[in-house]
Amino acid sequence: MSDPTEPDPAGEGIPPAAAEPVVRRRNATRLSLVWIVPIVAVVVGASLLINTLMQAGPHVMIEFRTAEGLEPGKTEVRYKEVVVGRVEAVSLSDDRKRVQVGVRLDRAVSNMAVEDTNFWVVRPRIGMAGISGLNTLLSGAYIGVDAGNSTRSRKHFVGLEAPPFVLRNEPGRSFVLRAPDLGSLDVGSPVYYRRTRVGRVVGYTLDPVNDELTVQVFIESPYEPLVTQQARFWNASGLDLQLNASGLTLNAQTVSSVIAGGIAFERLPGSEGLAAAPAGTRFYLFDDRKAALAPPDGPALTIRMVFDQSVRGLSTGAPVDFLGIELGTVQSMQLLYDARTQRYPMEVTADIYPLRLGKVRNAMLQGAPAGGAADIRFLKQLVDSGLRAQLRTGNLLTSQQYVALDFTPRTPQATLDMSNGVPRVPTVPGTLSELQPQIAEIVARLNKVPFDEIGRDLQSTLSQARAAIRELSPEAQKALAEVQRTLGSVQASLQRLDRNLLDESAPVQRNVEQTMTELQRAAQALRALSDYLQRHPETLLRGKRADPPLADREKPR
Amino acid sequence: MTALYGCECCGLVSAAPAGDAQVQLRCPRCAHPLHDEKPHSLQKTWAYLAASVLLYIPANALPVMTTSNLFRDTSHTIASGIAELWASDSWGLAIIVFVASIAVPLLKIGTLALLAWSVQYAPGWRRFERARLYRIVEGVGHWSMLDVYVVVLLAGIVQFGRLANVHPEPGLLAFAAVVVLTMLAARSFDPRLIWREPDEPTP
Ligand SMILES: [Zn+2]
Repeated sequence: MSDPTEPDPAGEGIPPAAAEPVVRRRNATRLSLVWIVPIVAVVVGASLLINTLMQAGPHVMIEFRTAEGLEPGKTEVRYKEVVVGRVEAVSLSDDRKRVQVGVRLDRAVSNMAVEDTNFWVVRPRIGMAGISGLNTLLSGAYIGVDAGNSTRSRKHFVGLEAPPFVLRNEPGRSFVLRAPDLGSLDVGSPVYYRRTRVGRVVGYTLDPVNDELTVQVFIESPYEPLVTQQARFWNASGLDLQLNASGLTLNAQTVSSVIAGGIAFERLPGSEGLAAAPAGTRFYLFDDRKAALAPPDGPALTIRMVFDQSVRGLSTGAPVDFLGIELGTVQSMQLLYDARTQRYPMEVTADIYPLRLGKVRNAMLQGAPAGGAADIRFLKQLVDSGLRAQLRTGNLLTSQQYVALDFTPRTPQATLDMSNGVPRVPTVPGTLSELQPQIAEIVARLNKVPFDEIGRDLQSTLSQARAAIRELSPEAQKALAEVQRTLGSVQASLQRLDRNLLDESAPVQRNVEQTMTELQRAAQALRALSDYLQRHPETLLRGKRADPPLADREKPR
Repeated sequence: MTALYGCECCGLVSAAPAGDAQVQLRCPRCAHPLHDEKPHSLQKTWAYLAASVLLYIPANALPVMTTSNLFRDTSHTIASGIAELWASDSWGLAIIVFVASIAVPLLKIGTLALLAWSVQYAPGWRRFERARLYRIVEGVGHWSMLDVYVVVLLAGIVQFGRLANVHPEPGLLAFAAVVVLTMLAARSFDPRLIWREPDEPTP
């Protein structure tokens, strides 16, 4: 750059050989094309800004109880896990009881800002049904939305404190189950069909007026047609650990249901073609699968039985068994006092379901309708043919007892006692209670044996023997020495004897051998003689005949 | 008066014939255009400055970068990035980013506007200082591209799929355009205009 203090005066010092530039006509445009650049900038900048502004949707206010985990500018609003907005501001309400969360929704979901839309905060929560919102541990809480269907728009909402359990428009069907108790069920507990999760518990209500507990379940699409009018629901909660007369039974649906509880359902066999039950159909929630799938019991018939024995091991709910078929359950037990015999019999009341006998009952009653008189008549017939109630031990280990209705031979004649309205089935003593007196008798006899005395005598005898042995000891030692000596000499004599008698060269041995040979011979001769005498007994009288000539010997043949 | 022109391309000095001003001169050796000053210098400077001012708005209003991890996408504008750095006690970094991204472009635009304005309306005013100012503006030049470099580098390096991801946003485009346009404005400004006497005709 030229120095401003010493400007070079124009025209001086021109180099002699300055070239001639090429000269062309300049075009006359005064405005440069460069002004296109700001125009492009305007277009680009405006399009960028408009694009961004277009994406911004409506601004809504949501009221929550607490702003825990909600950060302005960061917390997202998600619908089906898609980000549809962002929290812009968090402030306290005027009365400082609630927090106001300003949310900017995306343009695409601006139709979500309507009256029946629900908002809630998703935070990690650990419930009976498992851990939910686990991802929020890392991402922080977010606001969940359930879009409403209304067309009336709204800008101010009151947020839910917990996520709703059925989202609007979620495909599926709700049903209502009447339940005796809730068990370990909770909102969110799964509903299983063939051990596959097909739905969940979405709520339960206890009606204090009617004392009725109902459980609302939601069967998710596409499984809702599985629930027909013939579906049977039962509580598959946890481990169904039953300790009863049949022993220890362990039933579990799935590991998850063991931990979180659950409901299972099944269709009755033969009801496959039935149409699906409409939403809101009411079902009964049975305690277990067996009860759920059992044929309908019909009305119960209350019977009573008086046992003249302890009913220890018999509990309410214990089965009443008829030839192995569970006919009913024990309802109550009551101690009576029999003034005449001065004893305390036990009255057991049980509900039995004669319909469970099905064909037998039909055959005996010719298909009379269930209930009342017909069943009593049926029971009467059975008692007349020898049916008796008996307490039996179902399980020796736990000594749980059950009531067996059985035909017992050799029992005194008895009839169904119908006094005070409730039929009273005659009883016989239980197997164990029969055995008990016999065992007691054996024990009593054993008790009579004077074990003490015998023991004492034995002890004194033994001590006397010990004393005698101690007194004897010096002489005994001497005697032992004598015995030893004697034994030594006996051994010597025996050796000698051995040499003289048993050695093969010993004279005795040889003589004996000879004698034995002689004896053998003599015996042979005797045998020959006896044979001959047998054949020719006449020789005893006539003497031996001369031997016949050789040629004649063949004759008798 | 004969005017001498040094060819900007090959260095040949040629003497133009006096007379008609409406001609275009070209170097006899390499055909590079010869001129007193850069043609339309002020117009170009004003145009580029206008464009850069216009794009400066979206460059600061829109996010320049989105960092996403497994669960969340976070968009950053330049200002929010500086605020975040400041909040996390990285004052040094915050200052550097502020200077490079906000102060320098603004100062450049302001300085060039001042230079262009003074050529037209206050030609005799503090020429020496204005010339120095121009040298500074040209020298600072591309350092404002720092942000763009950082984002582009991050976007290139941090690509771990769903785990962590950085991707540039439209704001970065606008910001880069602002920086480039201010550089173009600085280049198209002809410092010789500073030294033009008021009675000389403007190009
Ligand atoms: Zn040239």
